[in-house]
Amino acid sequence: MNETAKETLTLGERIREALSFRTLFTVRVGELSIPITETVITTWLVMAILIAGAYLLTRKLREVPTGPQVFVEAFVGFLNGFFKDTLGHHWRPFAAWLGTVGLFLAAANILGFFSPIPGFGFEPPFALKPPTRDINVTAALSVMTILIVIVSGLVVKGPIGWFKSFVKPTPIMLPFNIIEYAIKPLSLCLRLFGNVLGAFIIMELLAMVVPLFIPPVASVYFDFFDGIIQAVVFVFLSSIYIKEAVE
Amino acid sequence: MNPMIAIGAAIAALTGIGAGVGIGIATGKAVEAIARQPEASGKINGAFLLGIALAEATAIYGFVIGLLCLFS
Repeated sequence: MNETAKETLTLGERIREALSFRTLFTVRVGELSIPITETVITTWLVMAILIAGAYLLTRKLREVPTGPQVFVEAFVGFLNGFFKDTLGHHWRPFAAWLGTVGLFLAAANILGFFSPIPGFGFEPPFALKPPTRDINVTAALSVMTILIVIVSGLVVKGPIGWFKSFVKPTPIMLPFNIIEYAIKPLSLCLRLFGNVLGAFIIMELLAMVVPLFIPPVASVYFDFFDGIIQAVVFVFLSSIYIKEAVE
Repeated sequence: MNPMIAIGAAIAALTGIGAGVGIGIATGKAVEAIARQPEASGKINGAFLLGIALAEATAIYGFVIGLLCLFS
Protein backbone atom coordinates (compact mmCIF):
# COMPACT_ATOMS: atom_id res chain seq x y z
CA MET A 1 0.00 0.00 0.00
CA ASN A 2 1.33 3.43 -0.89
CA GLU A 3 2.03 5.17 2.40
CA THR A 4 3.22 8.51 1.11
CA ALA A 5 0.12 9.62 -0.81
CA LYS A 6 -2.34 10.33 1.94
CA GLU A 7 -5.04 11.63 -0.41
CA THR A 8 -5.60 8.13 -1.78
CA LEU A 9 -6.55 6.71 1.62
CA THR A 10 -10.24 6.09 2.04
CA LEU A 11 -12.27 7.48 4.89
CA GLY A 12 -12.26 4.28 6.92
CA GLU A 13 -8.55 3.85 6.54
CA ARG A 14 -7.95 7.44 7.54
CA ILE A 15 -10.00 7.01 10.71
CA ARG A 16 -8.31 3.72 11.49
CA GLU A 17 -4.95 5.41 11.13
CA ALA A 18 -6.05 8.23 13.43
CA LEU A 19 -6.98 5.69 16.08
CA SER A 20 -3.73 3.72 15.97
CA PHE A 21 -0.40 4.34 17.64
CA ARG A 22 2.84 3.54 15.91
CA THR A 23 5.65 2.08 17.96
CA LEU A 24 8.74 4.02 17.09
CA PHE A 25 11.40 2.06 18.97
CA THR A 26 11.72 -0.20 21.98
CA VAL A 27 13.87 0.25 25.04
CA ARG A 28 15.38 -2.83 26.63
CA VAL A 29 15.63 -2.71 30.42
CA GLY A 30 17.06 -5.99 31.59
CA GLU A 31 14.65 -8.56 30.20
CA LEU A 32 11.72 -6.23 29.51
CA SER A 33 11.43 -4.45 26.20
CA ILE A 34 9.28 -1.37 26.56
CA PRO A 35 7.71 -0.13 23.31
CA ILE A 36 8.01 3.62 22.88
CA THR A 37 4.94 4.77 20.95
CA GLU A 38 4.43 8.16 19.37
CA THR A 39 2.32 9.09 22.40
CA VAL A 40 5.39 8.86 24.64
CA ILE A 41 7.46 11.00 22.25
CA THR A 42 4.74 13.65 22.12
CA THR A 43 4.48 13.63 25.92
CA TRP A 44 8.25 14.23 26.08
CA LEU A 45 7.77 17.18 23.75
CA VAL A 46 5.03 18.65 25.99
CA MET A 47 7.26 18.11 29.02
CA ALA A 48 10.16 19.85 27.27
CA ILE A 49 7.97 22.83 26.42
CA LEU A 50 6.62 23.15 29.96
CA ILE A 51 10.02 22.74 31.62
CA ALA A 52 11.67 25.23 29.26
CA GLY A 53 8.85 27.70 29.85
CA ALA A 54 9.08 27.31 33.62
CA TYR A 55 12.86 27.76 33.57
CA LEU A 56 12.79 30.82 31.33
CA LEU A 57 10.00 32.50 33.28
CA THR A 58 11.60 32.08 36.72
CA ARG A 59 15.18 33.00 35.92
CA LYS A 60 15.74 36.44 37.43
CA LEU A 61 13.12 36.81 40.13
CA ARG A 62 13.05 40.14 41.90
CA GLU A 63 11.35 41.35 45.03
CA VAL A 64 9.27 43.90 43.09
CA PRO A 65 8.01 42.06 40.00
CA THR A 66 8.56 43.50 36.54
CA GLY A 67 7.98 42.13 33.08
CA PRO A 68 6.85 38.51 32.68
CA GLN A 69 7.12 37.93 36.42
CA VAL A 70 3.91 39.96 36.85
CA PHE A 71 1.94 37.54 34.71
CA VAL A 72 3.49 34.49 36.32
CA GLU A 73 2.71 35.77 39.82
CA ALA A 74 -0.83 36.70 38.81
CA PHE A 75 -1.38 33.26 37.30
CA VAL A 76 -0.02 31.38 40.32
CA GLY A 77 -1.98 33.65 42.66
CA PHE A 78 -5.17 32.97 40.71
CA LEU A 79 -4.61 29.20 40.85
CA ASN A 80 -3.79 29.26 44.55
CA GLY A 81 -6.90 31.34 45.27
CA PHE A 82 -9.05 28.89 43.34
CA PHE A 83 -7.63 25.91 45.20
CA LYS A 84 -7.97 27.66 48.55
CA ASP A 85 -11.65 28.31 47.79
CA THR A 86 -12.37 24.81 46.60
CA LEU A 87 -10.19 22.66 48.86
CA GLY A 88 -10.55 24.56 52.11
CA HIS A 89 -8.06 24.19 54.92
CA HIS A 90 -5.58 21.62 53.58
CA TRP A 91 -5.09 23.16 50.16
CA ARG A 92 -1.33 23.55 50.04
CA PRO A 93 -0.14 19.99 49.35
CA PHE A 94 -2.57 19.52 46.49
CA ALA A 95 -2.18 22.83 44.68
CA ALA A 96 1.10 21.76 43.05
CA TRP A 97 -0.29 18.49 41.69
CA LEU A 98 -3.54 19.99 40.43
CA GLY A 99 -1.83 23.01 38.88
CA THR A 100 0.68 20.80 37.09
CA VAL A 101 -2.03 18.52 35.75
CA GLY A 102 -3.96 21.55 34.52
CA LEU A 103 -0.95 23.00 32.72
CA PHE A 104 0.00 19.63 31.22
CA LEU A 105 -3.52 18.96 29.95
CA ALA A 106 -3.88 22.46 28.51
CA ALA A 107 -0.57 22.13 26.65
CA ALA A 108 -1.25 18.55 25.53
CA ASN A 109 -4.72 19.30 24.18
CA ILE A 110 -3.62 22.39 22.27
CA LEU A 111 -0.73 20.53 20.63
CA GLY A 112 -2.98 19.32 17.82
CA PHE A 113 -3.11 22.86 16.51
CA PHE A 114 0.57 22.78 15.48
CA SER A 115 0.53 19.74 13.24
CA PRO A 116 0.99 20.50 9.53
CA ILE A 117 -1.75 19.38 7.17
CA PRO A 118 -0.93 17.28 4.09
CA GLY A 119 -2.36 18.38 0.79
CA PHE A 120 -1.52 19.67 -2.70
CA GLY A 121 1.52 17.45 -2.95
CA PHE A 122 3.03 18.70 0.32
CA GLU A 123 3.95 15.88 2.66
CA PRO A 124 4.72 16.99 6.23
CA PRO A 125 7.78 15.38 7.79
CA PHE A 126 6.04 14.93 11.12
CA ALA A 127 2.54 15.03 12.54
CA LEU A 128 1.80 16.31 16.05
CA LYS A 129 -1.13 14.48 17.53
CA PRO A 130 -2.36 15.36 21.00
CA PRO A 131 -1.12 12.68 23.44
CA THR A 132 -4.37 12.72 25.41
CA ARG A 133 -6.09 10.94 22.52
CA ASP A 134 -4.45 7.80 23.89
CA ILE A 135 -6.54 6.32 26.67
CA ASN A 136 -3.35 5.27 28.48
CA VAL A 137 -2.46 8.90 29.23
CA THR A 138 -5.87 9.86 30.58
CA ALA A 139 -6.21 6.62 32.49
CA ALA A 140 -2.83 7.21 34.15
CA LEU A 141 -3.83 10.71 35.23
CA SER A 142 -7.18 9.60 36.64
CA VAL A 143 -5.60 6.64 38.48
CA MET A 144 -3.11 9.05 40.06
CA THR A 145 -5.97 11.34 41.08
CA ILE A 146 -7.95 8.57 42.75
CA LEU A 147 -4.82 7.34 44.53
CA ILE A 148 -4.28 10.84 45.88
CA VAL A 149 -7.92 10.95 47.00
CA ILE A 150 -7.65 7.62 48.84
CA VAL A 151 -4.28 8.33 50.45
CA SER A 152 -5.21 11.84 51.53
CA GLY A 153 -8.47 10.57 53.00
CA LEU A 154 -6.54 7.94 54.97
CA VAL A 155 -3.94 10.44 56.18
CA VAL A 156 -6.31 13.24 57.19
CA LYS A 157 -9.10 11.17 58.69
CA GLY A 158 -7.15 8.15 59.90
CA PRO A 159 -8.07 4.61 58.81
CA ILE A 160 -11.07 4.30 61.14
CA GLY A 161 -12.48 7.68 60.16
CA TRP A 162 -12.02 6.81 56.49
CA PHE A 163 -13.95 3.57 56.84
CA LYS A 164 -16.65 5.41 58.78
CA SER A 165 -17.03 7.87 55.92
CA PHE A 166 -18.37 5.05 53.77
CA VAL A 167 -21.56 4.97 55.85
CA LYS A 168 -21.62 8.73 56.28
CA PRO A 169 -25.09 9.97 55.24
CA THR A 170 -26.90 6.70 55.96
CA PRO A 171 -25.71 3.05 56.01
CA ILE A 172 -27.85 2.38 52.93
CA MET A 173 -25.35 4.45 50.93
CA LEU A 174 -22.57 1.90 51.54
CA PRO A 175 -22.65 0.14 48.11
CA PHE A 176 -23.00 3.45 46.31
CA ASN A 177 -20.02 4.93 48.14
CA ILE A 178 -17.94 1.87 47.26
CA ILE A 179 -18.92 2.02 43.60
CA GLU A 180 -18.18 5.76 43.52
CA TYR A 181 -14.49 4.98 44.05
CA ALA A 182 -14.55 3.08 40.77
CA ILE A 183 -16.88 5.38 38.83
CA LYS A 184 -15.05 8.63 39.57
CA PRO A 185 -11.74 7.79 37.85
CA LEU A 186 -13.58 6.03 35.03
CA SER A 187 -15.67 9.08 34.25
CA LEU A 188 -12.68 11.43 34.48
CA CYS A 189 -10.68 9.24 32.11
CA LEU A 190 -13.43 8.66 29.55
CA ARG A 191 -14.62 12.25 29.47
CA LEU A 192 -11.16 13.61 28.63
CA PHE A 193 -10.31 10.77 26.23
CA GLY A 194 -13.62 10.95 24.35
CA ASN A 195 -13.51 14.72 23.94
CA VAL A 196 -9.92 14.85 22.70
CA LEU A 197 -10.32 11.83 20.39
CA GLY A 198 -13.55 13.19 18.92
CA ALA A 199 -12.03 16.61 18.28
CA PHE A 200 -8.94 14.97 16.72
CA ILE A 201 -10.99 12.78 14.36
CA ILE A 202 -13.13 15.71 13.25
CA MET A 203 -10.03 17.81 12.57
CA GLU A 204 -8.49 14.96 10.54
CA LEU A 205 -11.65 14.56 8.46
CA LEU A 206 -11.87 18.33 7.90
CA ALA A 207 -8.23 18.46 6.83
CA MET A 208 -8.88 15.64 4.40
CA VAL A 209 -11.89 17.29 2.79
CA VAL A 210 -11.05 21.01 2.93
CA PRO A 211 -7.32 21.42 3.55
CA LEU A 212 -7.13 25.10 2.71
CA PHE A 213 -8.79 27.73 4.93
CA ILE A 214 -11.24 25.93 7.23
CA PRO A 215 -8.89 23.89 9.50
CA PRO A 216 -7.37 26.83 11.44
CA VAL A 217 -10.79 28.39 12.00
CA ALA A 218 -12.31 25.12 13.18
CA SER A 219 -9.22 24.43 15.25
CA VAL A 220 -9.96 27.49 17.39
CA TYR A 221 -13.06 25.72 18.70
CA PHE A 222 -11.95 22.10 18.64
CA ASP A 223 -8.37 22.39 19.83
CA PHE A 224 -8.25 25.54 21.95
CA PHE A 225 -11.73 25.96 23.44
CA ASP A 226 -12.51 22.28 23.86
CA GLY A 227 -9.02 21.41 25.08
CA ILE A 228 -8.81 24.15 27.68
CA ILE A 229 -12.33 23.50 28.97
CA GLN A 230 -11.58 19.79 29.33
CA ALA A 231 -8.40 20.58 31.25
CA VAL A 232 -10.30 22.95 33.56
CA VAL A 233 -13.09 20.40 34.11
CA PHE A 234 -10.58 17.65 34.93
CA VAL A 235 -8.80 19.81 37.50
CA PHE A 236 -12.05 21.13 38.97
CA LEU A 237 -13.55 17.67 39.40
CA SER A 238 -10.30 16.34 40.89
CA SER A 239 -10.28 19.16 43.42
CA ILE A 240 -13.91 18.44 44.35
CA TYR A 241 -13.13 14.77 44.92
CA ILE A 242 -10.13 15.69 47.07
CA LYS A 243 -12.24 18.14 49.08
CA GLU A 244 -14.81 15.43 49.73
CA ALA A 245 -12.06 13.16 50.99
CA VAL A 246 -10.29 15.55 53.35
CA GLU A 247 -13.00 17.61 54.96
CA MET B 1 -18.96 -5.79 8.12
CA ASN B 2 -21.48 -7.48 10.32
CA PRO B 3 -24.72 -5.42 10.14
CA MET B 4 -25.38 -5.96 13.85
CA ILE B 5 -22.15 -4.15 14.63
CA ALA B 6 -23.25 -1.17 12.56
CA ILE B 7 -26.70 -1.12 14.20
CA GLY B 8 -25.11 -1.32 17.63
CA ALA B 9 -22.80 1.60 16.90
CA ALA B 10 -25.74 3.63 15.58
CA ILE B 11 -27.77 2.97 18.74
CA ALA B 12 -24.78 3.99 20.84
CA ALA B 13 -24.67 7.31 19.02
CA LEU B 14 -28.25 8.07 20.11
CA THR B 15 -26.97 9.22 23.51
CA GLY B 16 -26.30 12.57 21.88
CA ILE B 17 -30.01 13.38 22.19
CA GLY B 18 -29.79 13.61 25.96
CA ALA B 19 -26.77 15.90 25.85
CA GLY B 20 -28.37 18.17 23.25
CA VAL B 21 -31.61 18.58 25.19
CA GLY B 22 -29.85 19.04 28.53
CA ILE B 23 -27.39 21.62 27.26
CA GLY B 24 -30.19 23.48 25.49
CA ILE B 25 -32.20 23.74 28.70
CA ALA B 26 -29.09 24.85 30.61
CA THR B 27 -28.37 27.55 28.05
CA GLY B 28 -31.93 28.82 28.29
CA LYS B 29 -31.75 29.10 32.06
CA ALA B 30 -28.32 30.77 31.89
CA VAL B 31 -29.55 33.39 29.42
CA GLU B 32 -32.63 34.01 31.56
CA ALA B 33 -30.44 34.49 34.64
CA ILE B 34 -28.13 36.91 32.84
CA ALA B 35 -31.12 38.88 31.57
CA ARG B 36 -32.43 39.11 35.10
CA GLN B 37 -29.13 40.21 36.69
CA PRO B 38 -26.40 41.28 34.24
CA GLU B 39 -23.84 42.04 36.97
CA ALA B 40 -23.59 38.35 37.87
CA SER B 41 -22.79 37.30 34.32
CA GLY B 42 -19.22 36.30 35.22
CA LYS B 43 -20.31 33.71 37.77
CA ILE B 44 -23.19 32.58 35.58
CA ASN B 45 -20.78 32.04 32.69
CA GLY B 46 -18.48 30.01 34.89
CA ALA B 47 -21.23 27.74 36.19
CA PHE B 48 -22.68 27.43 32.70
CA LEU B 49 -19.45 26.28 31.05
CA LEU B 50 -18.83 23.76 33.82
CA GLY B 51 -22.37 22.41 33.46
CA ILE B 52 -21.95 22.03 29.69
CA ALA B 53 -18.72 20.07 30.04
CA LEU B 54 -20.27 17.70 32.57
CA ALA B 55 -23.49 17.20 30.57
CA GLU B 56 -21.46 16.50 27.43
CA ALA B 57 -19.66 13.66 29.16
CA THR B 58 -22.54 11.19 28.88
CA ALA B 59 -22.79 11.77 25.15
CA ILE B 60 -19.05 11.15 24.92
CA TYR B 61 -19.50 7.82 26.72
CA GLY B 62 -21.89 6.80 23.94
CA PHE B 63 -19.36 7.88 21.34
CA VAL B 64 -16.64 5.79 22.98
CA ILE B 65 -18.94 2.75 23.02
CA GLY B 66 -19.68 3.27 19.33
CA LEU B 67 -15.95 3.36 18.61
CA LEU B 68 -15.46 0.20 20.65
CA CYS B 69 -18.19 -1.52 18.60
CA LEU B 70 -16.72 -0.54 15.28
CA PHE B 71 -13.01 -0.92 15.81
CA SER B 72 -12.62 -3.76 18.26
